[in-house]
Amino acid sequence: MMDLVEWLASTSLSIALRESLYLYPWIESAHVLFIAIFFGTLLFVDLRLSGYVFKELSITQMNKKVLPLTIIGFVLMCLSGLLLFYAIPIRNYQNIFFRIKIVLMIVAGLNAFYFHWTMNKESKVWDKESYIPSNMKFSAIASLFLWSLVIISGRMIAYNWFDCDRQPQSDIINFLTSCVVETDFYESLDGI
Amino acid sequence: MINPIFKFTTIIFLGFSSLNIVAHHAFTAEFDANAPINITGKVLKVEWINPHAWVHVEVQEKGKKTTWMVEGGTPNTLIRNGITKDSIKPGTVIVVRGFQSKGKLCLPRCIANGRDVTFPDGRKVFMGSSGTGAPRDGADPRERR
Repeated sequence: MMDLVEWLASTSLSIALRESLYLYPWIESAHVLFIAIFFGTLLFVDLRLSGYVFKELSITQMNKKVLPLTIIGFVLMCLSGLLLFYAIPIRNYQNIFFRIKIVLMIVAGLNAFYFHWTMNKESKVWDKESYIPSNMKFSAIASLFLWSLVIISGRMIAYNWFDCDRQPQSDIINFLTSCVVETDFYESLDGI
Repeated sequence: MINPIFKFTTIIFLGFSSLNIVAHHAFTAEFDANAPINITGKVLKVEWINPHAWVHVEVQEKGKKTTWMVEGGTPNTLIRNGITKDSIKPGTVIVVRGFQSKGKLCLPRCIANGRDVTFPDGRKVFMGSSGTGAPRDGADPRERR
């Protein structure tokens, strides 16, 4: 994995992005904008599914109107996010908050997959009976919490408290971030 | 009528978004405003990277060498302030003022937030930390208040 990340970092496009005067800040801003589109529309879908608000709107109708925006936001958010990763591959790969974010995204993705799969099958029935099963309500609330945590951990990537070039760190941190600390670093500690 | 739960969630999310604005650069999270530095040394290398450029400076003091890693703004900010790749080549002797990181172990090198840099010809430019949470002394006319 580290080899792959190091190779990515050595490609000329990655270097150009990293050293760019305008492109990197533009992509960064766009990423935040796409997050707003994705999360803003997701908020509507999930709150409707939680059964607390917009009760007069049918779920099928809501999905037809709002979900396409959520999906567009999601795709653009992922693409801009990949570019941001690609600009600084090694540091991001070894960043503990980035890793937490990836784990959270997998959980949030599985949750989304589960509930869209069930929803596609059953939303027409829910419309008719104006009833949402409680596990779907739970899934909708969980989705909001998980994606909020994804955004928060994404924001935390900017902080370098646990970066590999900041030693000493506890062994568990170095393990979680796959940091390799050179042995002469520990020798330099002996004199203190 | 607005559902109280909807109202509550909205307030929570608005709260989070304003937090982000306050902590945008997080000077106080990483650097110590009470630990100003003033170092003179040779530029070892410059990491000309987003979102923050890093200038590595080798300081020689009483026969002891210390390496400082000084954080600046984005490459864009540096160029606007008058620092280019050519003006800060390795070997250039510069004076850097700024603030040290909260961790002061200096292992394997010291870390600081750069406030301004003075070149051999006496030219003094800001490194882009102004207005991002670092203490303000009014010296930089573009400081945001």
